[in-house]
Amino acid sequence: MDVIREVLDFLHREAALLDEGRYREWLSLLTEDVVYRIPVRLTRERPPQGGYGGIAEGMLHMDEDRASLEMRVARLETGFAWAEDPPSRLRHFVTNVRVGEPVRGDRGEEVEVRSYLLLFRSRWDRPDFTFLSAERQDLLRRENGGWKLARRLVILDHSTLPTHNLSFFL
Amino acid sequence: MARIQSKGVSQRLQELLEGLERGLEEGLIPAGIFNDPELFELEASRIFSRSWVYLAHVSEISSPGDYVLRYILNNAFIVVRSEDGKIRAFLDMCRHRGMRVCRAEMGNASHFRCPFHGWTYRNDGSLVGVPAEREAFGEGFRKEDWGLLPIPRLEEWDGLVFGNLDPEASSLEEWLGEIRWYLELVTKRSPMGLEVLGPPQRFVVNTDWKLALETFISDSYHTLMTHRSMIELGIAPKDAKYAMYGEQIHIPGKGHGTMVVGAPPGAKLPPFWGYPEEMMERARTSYPTRQQWEVARETRIFLVTLFPNFSLHNPIRKPDPQYPVPVPMLTFRVWHPLGPGRIEIVSWGMVERDAPEWFKEKARLSYLRFFGSSGTFEQDDTEIWSHVAQNAASTLGRKVRLNYQMGRNLKPDPNWPGPGVAYPINFTDENLRNFYRKYLDMIQG
Repeated sequence: MDVIREVLDFLHREAALLDEGRYREWLSLLTEDVVYRIPVRLTRERPPQGGYGGIAEGMLHMDEDRASLEMRVARLETGFAWAEDPPSRLRHFVTNVRVGEPVRGDRGEEVEVRSYLLLFRSRWDRPDFTFLSAERQDLLRRENGGWKLARRLVILDHSTLPTHNLSFFL
Repeated sequence: MARIQSKGVSQRLQELLEGLERGLEEGLIPAGIFNDPELFELEASRIFSRSWVYLAHVSEISSPGDYVLRYILNNAFIVVRSEDGKIRAFLDMCRHRGMRVCRAEMGNASHFRCPFHGWTYRNDGSLVGVPAEREAFGEGFRKEDWGLLPIPRLEEWDGLVFGNLDPEASSLEEWLGEIRWYLELVTKRSPMGLEVLGPPQRFVVNTDWKLALETFISDSYHTLMTHRSMIELGIAPKDAKYAMYGEQIHIPGKGHGTMVVGAPPGAKLPPFWGYPEEMMERARTSYPTRQQWEVARETRIFLVTLFPNFSLHNPIRKPDPQYPVPVPMLTFRVWHPLGPGRIEIVSWGMVERDAPEWFKEKARLSYLRFFGSSGTFEQDDTEIWSHVAQNAASTLGRKVRLNYQMGRNLKPDPNWPGPGVAYPINFTDENLRNFYRKYLDMIQG
């Protein structure tokens, strides 16, 4: 199977696990040294060199490592995590996938992947819902034959978040 | 209540406020105050247009030209450090035709130029550029009459910058009163003061600003159920009543309140929030009084809420369950009212300027994991606040009188060394009853 097909399979499978609340299985897709970050996004002047502007220095919505992600998952399993109990109905739409050239480094074969994310969230019996929009900048690493997520940077398209918490993963 | 009637308040709202006034001293509050369009209008004009509202910390605008965009009600203000070093705030509205002149949420600028017709203002607010001034406006035009409108009042206390829409308001110091003694436990912990970890997280919640505030001014009781998940994980103390072991203190007539919580009996928690030794040593001499040092030494969880919508929270926490020692975190936040049943939470992570770098990093992680937009404590708060607000707007629910009777029979603690009225156990609604006395006072007049 070519790398692009493998990466697409990975992203689609990951999205399904997140949407179905199978968080333990999701954790198994992460490397031990995973870095997962969602910086605060701000309205700023257009950067002269192009690219995304307004990525805050020093402040994030999430700045996670393996231990903290496991803590967040364990919390959801306590039965007392009211923010997600009952769970939000989530749908991760992952599109515009761009797969870099795989590189063999110290830690094995790695590939940079960018994708767009549209995340639908609905709670309780109200007809309203929220969308979060973002680009994900991922680093995948091949471990034991399969790809794992080693790094994710989520570039949100929101300054003020339109939702009352980030009690899930992007 | 005659004063409310005379100012054209509807029968319905009058009944609601009479219900609040009548029930307050016996600890009964009608849920309708938490989601009512008409009451929101009254709060906007009588509370938020006359109160000192937190805008920024000085560390956000430390150099000349630094600015941040901040709001009181729906008014946008540029809070800027001018070239002379003075902090000023201006309505972000061009004096010519009303356009926003500030084009970013933060930055550094010597001038603000309106994109509509090009009127240009220096960062001290003065109008310095008008395109085709002579041809367009002629000889008699005086630029000095057309500077950006300054916020009616702006004052700083110990690094905290507040604005007030009422030009006749009493001073910020007067407004704060004795709560300053408690604010100083944080602002004077280090002689260097505090700094922001970065710009604030901002997120919207379908709730009332008072519901959010209640949690931070008084409601230690919610921790045992709302935050049960964190107790189960061993991140909050094992003793589910952990937030009870402390004093709840309010400042009469001001509406402000604080909670000073120690270690649960038998719990082995380091003194002074678990701050590193060197920070504890600095604090010993940095605090203005010995009593403040002695109170701080025994504190593990600390909250201060200022009327009407600023809170700080300073708990001891482990950044992750495996981390060997607890690390305290500090957050400032504004419960910014957007409309009936809707707020924006503006949440900052804070740390002492001269804290060791490793500590700053751990305190940052503690903040991100536990409070703010993704915080594992705060997530459950916002979920619950939004449902209370939903009920508060329902036709039956708005008339339901909620229970604010906790600790009604408590006697003040005569031995408490700090100012204000202190109660010796933190499971009490005393700070809320005090808050709503001030609330009624302002909303009636």
